[in-house]
Formats: sequence, C-alpha cells, structure tokens
Amino acid sequence: MSFDIKPLKILLVDDYPNMRKSIRDMLRTVDAEHISEAGDGAGALKAMGKEQFDVVLCDYSLGNGKNGQQVLEEARAGRLLPFYTTFIMISTEQTPSMVLGATEIKPDEYLAKPFNAHQLYTRIEKNHARKSYFYQVEREASRGNIAAAIHHCEQLLQNENRKMHTSTLKMRAELAMKSGDYETAEHIYQQVLEKRELNWARLSLGIIDLQQNHVQAAIDCFKGLIQSSPLFLEAYDWLSKAYLASKDTQAAEDILLQAVQLSPSSVLRQKKLARTAESNNSLQVAESAYRNAVKYGQFSMHRSSSDFVQLARIYQKTGMPEKAHSALKQLRAEFENDPVVEMHACSLENEFFQQQGEQEVADMAFKNAKNLLHSLSDPIDKYVLLDMARSCFINQDEKEANKILDSLIKNHIEDEDFMNEIRNMLTLTGKNNHCELLIQKTKQQLIDINNQGVSLFNQGKIAEALSLLQEAANAMPHNKTILFNLAKIALHDLKDNSSDKFRLSTARDLIKRATNAGITSEKQANLQYEFVRLSQQHSGK
Amino acid sequence: MNLFACPNNTAVNNMSKDRSFQFSTVLASTVHDIKNSLGVLQGLINSLSDHYREDDHPQFKQLAFEAKRMNHSMMQLLVLYKIDNKHFSLHIDEHDVQDILDDIQAQITPQLQQNTLQLTIDCEDGLLVFCDANQISNAVGTMLNNAQRYSKRQIRLSAFEEKGNVCLCIEDDGVGYPPQYLDINPQDTANIDWVSGNTGLGLYFTSVIASLHKNGTEQGYTKTDNQSSLGGARFRLYLP
Repeated sequence: MSFDIKPLKILLVDDYPNMRKSIRDMLRTVDAEHISEAGDGAGALKAMGKEQFDVVLCDYSLGNGKNGQQVLEEARAGRLLPFYTTFIMISTEQTPSMVLGATEIKPDEYLAKPFNAHQLYTRIEKNHARKSYFYQVEREASRGNIAAAIHHCEQLLQNENRKMHTSTLKMRAELAMKSGDYETAEHIYQQVLEKRELNWARLSLGIIDLQQNHVQAAIDCFKGLIQSSPLFLEAYDWLSKAYLASKDTQAAEDILLQAVQLSPSSVLRQKKLARTAESNNSLQVAESAYRNAVKYGQFSMHRSSSDFVQLARIYQKTGMPEKAHSALKQLRAEFENDPVVEMHACSLENEFFQQQGEQEVADMAFKNAKNLLHSLSDPIDKYVLLDMARSCFINQDEKEANKILDSLIKNHIEDEDFMNEIRNMLTLTGKNNHCELLIQKTKQQLIDINNQGVSLFNQGKIAEALSLLQEAANAMPHNKTILFNLAKIALHDLKDNSSDKFRLSTARDLIKRATNAGITSEKQANLQYEFVRLSQQHSGK
Repeated sequence: MNLFACPNNTAVNNMSKDRSFQFSTVLASTVHDIKNSLGVLQGLINSLSDHYREDDHPQFKQLAFEAKRMNHSMMQLLVLYKIDNKHFSLHIDEHDVQDILDDIQAQITPQLQQNTLQLTIDCEDGLLVFCDANQISNAVGTMLNNAQRYSKRQIRLSAFEEKGNVCLCIEDDGVGYPPQYLDINPQDTANIDWVSGNTGLGLYFTSVIASLHKNGTEQGYTKTDNQSSLGGARFRLYLP
C-alpha cells in the first residue's frame, strides 16, 4: 500500500515567512496539494477551528504570542484536532521535551530543523501509517466509546504485527486505565517491562499503585524513575501527587521545585508548586512560582487572574507592598472589564488596607467585592470563591463566608485536593468551624443519592431517577458526578423517545451543564457520542 | 526565549547567577539562530540545484555537503554540551529499524538525486530495536555524510542482528580510514584528531550516543575498520 500525500490537508505554522515558504516548497516537491498556513498561534487555532487537518506542522517558537506547545494544548483541550490528525512539532532540537515543559500533552512527532523534503515526507508517511493502523481504535476512543475502542484494539493485537505490537499493547493498557481496569493495565505494563525497562511502562505502574492507594509503592516507583532518569519530569509530577496523597506537603513542594528548576515553562506545574509552597508557608518559593506562572502563562490557556492575586498577596505578606500594588495594577490592566477579577482585586485590597490600618477604605473595598459577588450569575472560579470566603471571615462576615463554603463543598466534593485547600484556608484563618462536618456529610449524601438514583434506574423507574438527581443537581449545581449521571439517564430516557423535542433539548442542556462543570474529556465524548447517535436515529426515522 | 532546559528561575535557583547559565543561553540561542539559517540555506541550495544541471555546477554538491556538515557540527556541539551539563537524556522506545534507515536515507536523498552517489540499503526483515530513534538517526546520518565525502561512488547501509545486539553498518568504496582512526577507543578524547574535519568529532559523538544506550549491564558501542565489503571504510554502531 503506497502512501499518497496528495489528499492530505496540511496546516503549516511558523512565524517566519521565509521558513514557511521553504517548508511549503518542500511539501510541493513531494506532491502535497492542500497546504494552509498560519503565522502565529492564534491564527493556527483559528484555522483548526474552521477546517479539520490531517497534518499540522507547527514550529515550537512562534515569536511573540503562544508557542507551539501552547497551541497544541489549546487545540487538544478545545477538541480542534480530530483523532486522525498528526501533529508534528518542529524545533531546533532532536527531542526537545525539556523545552516544552515535559507535560502529558505531547505531539505525535518532533522534527528537528533543518530538514529536507524527503525527511519531512518520511515523517508524515510514518505517522500517517500509524494513525491509519489505529484509526478505528482512536475513532471510538475519541467518541468516549472505550468498550468499542478496546474491542478494536484486541483485534489488532491478534494481527501479530510485530512492528506495531508494543504500540498496540501500550494503547490497550491506556484504554484499560481509562476504563479503570487496572488489573489488565498492570498485566500489560509488566509484560512490556519483562522485555525492556521502559520509562513509560514503569511510570504507569506507579500511577496504578497510586490510583489503588498503594501510596508508598507509588512513591518508591517514582523515586526510582527519577534516580535512573533524572530528566524524566513526568515522574516528578507524579511523585509530588503521591507525596500529597500521603500528606507530606513539604516533600511535594521540594520535588516540584526540582522539576521547575529543570524545566520552568510548564504553567500548571508552576501553579501546583506555588499553591503547595504557599500552604507550607514557603513564601519565597511560592512567590517565585507564582511569578513564573504569570510569566510563562502569558499566552497560555492556563493564564489566570488568580495567579496575579496570589502573587500580590504574597508580596504583601512578605513586606513588599509596592510590588503587591504593581501586581494588582498589572492584573487590572490585563483583565480589563472583568467583574470577577475586579471582585478578586477588591477583596485583596481590603486585606491590604486593613493591614495598613485604613479601615474606612478597607470597608469600602470589601463592600465593592460583596456587591460584585451578588451581581454575578455565571459560575465563578473556585479559587476566587475560596478567597472571597476568606475575605468574608477576615471582615467578620461569617454568614456570607459559610454560604460560599457550603456551595464550594457541595459542588467540588469529589475534588479532594480542593477540599484540602479549604481545610488549609480555615486553619490559616483560625476558623475550624463546621466545615469538616459538612465535607463528610456532603460526601455521604452524594453517595446516597447516587446509589438511590442507580437503583431507581435499574428498576426501570427512569422518571423517578431523573427527578431525584434533578433535585440533587439543584442543591449541587456544579457537581460533576451528579450532572454526568443525570445526563446519562436523560440520554437513556431519550432512547425510546428520540423524537420528543423536549427530551432532546433537556438532554442537550444537561450535557452542556456537565461539560461546563468540568467532567473529564472521555465522559464528555461519551455523552456527545451517545447524543449524536440518538438524535441521528430520530432524524433517520 | 528559553531554548533548552536551563534553570532561569532567579529566585529559586542560584545557578542563574552562574556564568555557565548565561553561556548556555547564548549557546542555545546561537545554535537556534544558525539552525534556522541553515534550514533556509539548505532549502535554497536544493531549489537552485533543481534548476541547474549538476554537471555544469558541481559546486552545488559541495554547498549541500558543507551546509549539512555545519548542521551536524551544531547539533553535536549542543548535544555534547548538554550531556556535559547533565541536561541530556535519551527517549528510549521500541522502533522498526527499517523506519530509522528510511529516515537516514531521507537525510541524503537530495545528493542521491543528483546521481553522484549510489546508496544501497539492506535491512533484516522485521528487525526491531530499543533506542532513541531521533538521536540514532542523526548520529548515523553524521557518519553517512562523512562517508559520502570519502567514498568514490558507492555506500552500503545495512542493519542486522549480531549476538543479540542490533548493528547499523556503513561501508564505502573509498580509501578507508587513515590509521589513526582504526581500532581506537573513540571515547578516548586524547586519541582523537580534532583538527582534520568532522571525522574525529563525528566518531566521538556517535560513540557517546551509542554508549548512552544501555540494557542492563550492556551498553552500545561503535567500531571502525577498513573491512568494507566495498573496499573502503566500515563503521558499525551496536545497540544492546
């Protein structure tokens, strides 16, 4: 089967016009016909939103603006890249994973500059062959249809294609991980490791240990990896998670600090370090990490106003009020006309002025913040709300503080990290109030409602299950588990009533709500796939 | 912009005050810059040589060769610098050896198309290898570029299994390695002739890359001799 580059739609992203021309000429000499171009990250994302490309050739350094890694992250998060797209990152290095921050979002291929047309063609061909081989598996996985993806993967494994065998095993294990089948995954990784010690397989075994709460085994595994491969940054990230799981926050901070010293450009890692260091009261480390989060996040989808606020707060705490004010100024400049940011800034100013003994101005700032809070209707970032709760405590407004905490706990009860942040804040403000009780109670409530809902569903009492979960969703409007289950049941309800316009729009709204609440991308895909299937069934009738 | 992983985190890292940090930044951005230029330059050379007949303008071959040599030298410089600073690691995975050979062949396809060189490729069917494919492809590409300079007309690139190791072998029909390159330990820097072109550095570089490939107690290595089946030099790289 010979490879035909002609029908492939290729997007070429480079900020340097001569380089684009040079690569475009190369592509023409190997008969590529459909070549689109973008001169920066924003343009690339716009092009990907309009058209589905088979190949994206993206330079890592794109001048002032998003870099190639940020383009890739955003494209994946926004589902702008179809499952069959090959993303090739062009850079001046052979394997520049360190430069890219070594996060879990990776391109299909790195291509080092300079290269000629034949090298480019060979790489595209190789990746295209790979994508074609896994076409059905990845198509089903992208729809969230993990069971079907596993089925296709199993079939590929029976092909006895020696060349693709290890990649297929790897994919099978990843699918097992996604479906929570750790036993199968572990078995496969062990099998791979028997042949050769490979970092990705070893890391996965550690992740499985961590998922199954074998925290010490996970810690040992990640430590071993770091010792044998000191530049394997993903092991640092996982080790920090394992330390956090064992409540050793200082060790978590130390290991994250080592990781950012090796590779500073991952915004998420900097944020994680900043928050961990802050909770450990390592203010100097936290300051530097927030500063880097702001710096490297400038063009990233992970840029957030909270980082500026935290930075300002730390400057204030460490006796640098001028820097604190300039951070706030920068915040307001960069997020102009954003009421949430303004609220956040006001709550912080309130703290500043209180410390300076200017009670009147402080009160005014707090009043502004509270007014803004009440005027906002869209969901607000949980960290901003947590800061508001703290502000309320500081200003003796316990009623408002508890109201905010109540909703935060109910909406994010599955997020153990965040529950710990709430506990931290309460300890730091000296308010060890009823929250722990509420956390435990909410957890139990959630389990009860789910069990009840599932049991009603199993008894075929769809309407009752729906109304029970609907009620729960009213009490916890951003709770991911409830919203996901609610959407699943609504979809099931649609199966026998796919022409019912009301049910269709209910299901659609619920999927949207679950998506907005931040359910995982697999779950999103699963809901979307089911919905599309059912609505097509209706229109086909 | 930060090109490779140098700690540039001023508050949390004292290395930022270190001169070596500044040097690595300068080095990296210089390499970056030169590589960008070389990329455009190579593109121009290729498109020019498509327009002109090779027989009338033999300089094109020389131009392409020199541009590639510069590129290989830059890459070696950067990688060796990083190894020295413990900022280098391999990305080992299982690869089809044929894919790696295809990639190496693609590196010199422009020269092959000018019909000045004959390359034969021989790979055992279904041969798999654990390695960092990008690094190996580049290391062998470097040696192939050198072989091309010294061969008369023919080069043979082959891959096979030998005592559990995978061997990548380059043979040419030139005059062979001069005595100072034979049976030496390429990692013994005292033995390397650094002055005469890229051969010494290239050998050193490939042997370093080979030796970073480990499997248990075994590690990769390189060998040079004049036992080429084509009558010239033979270079072999073994991966465990």
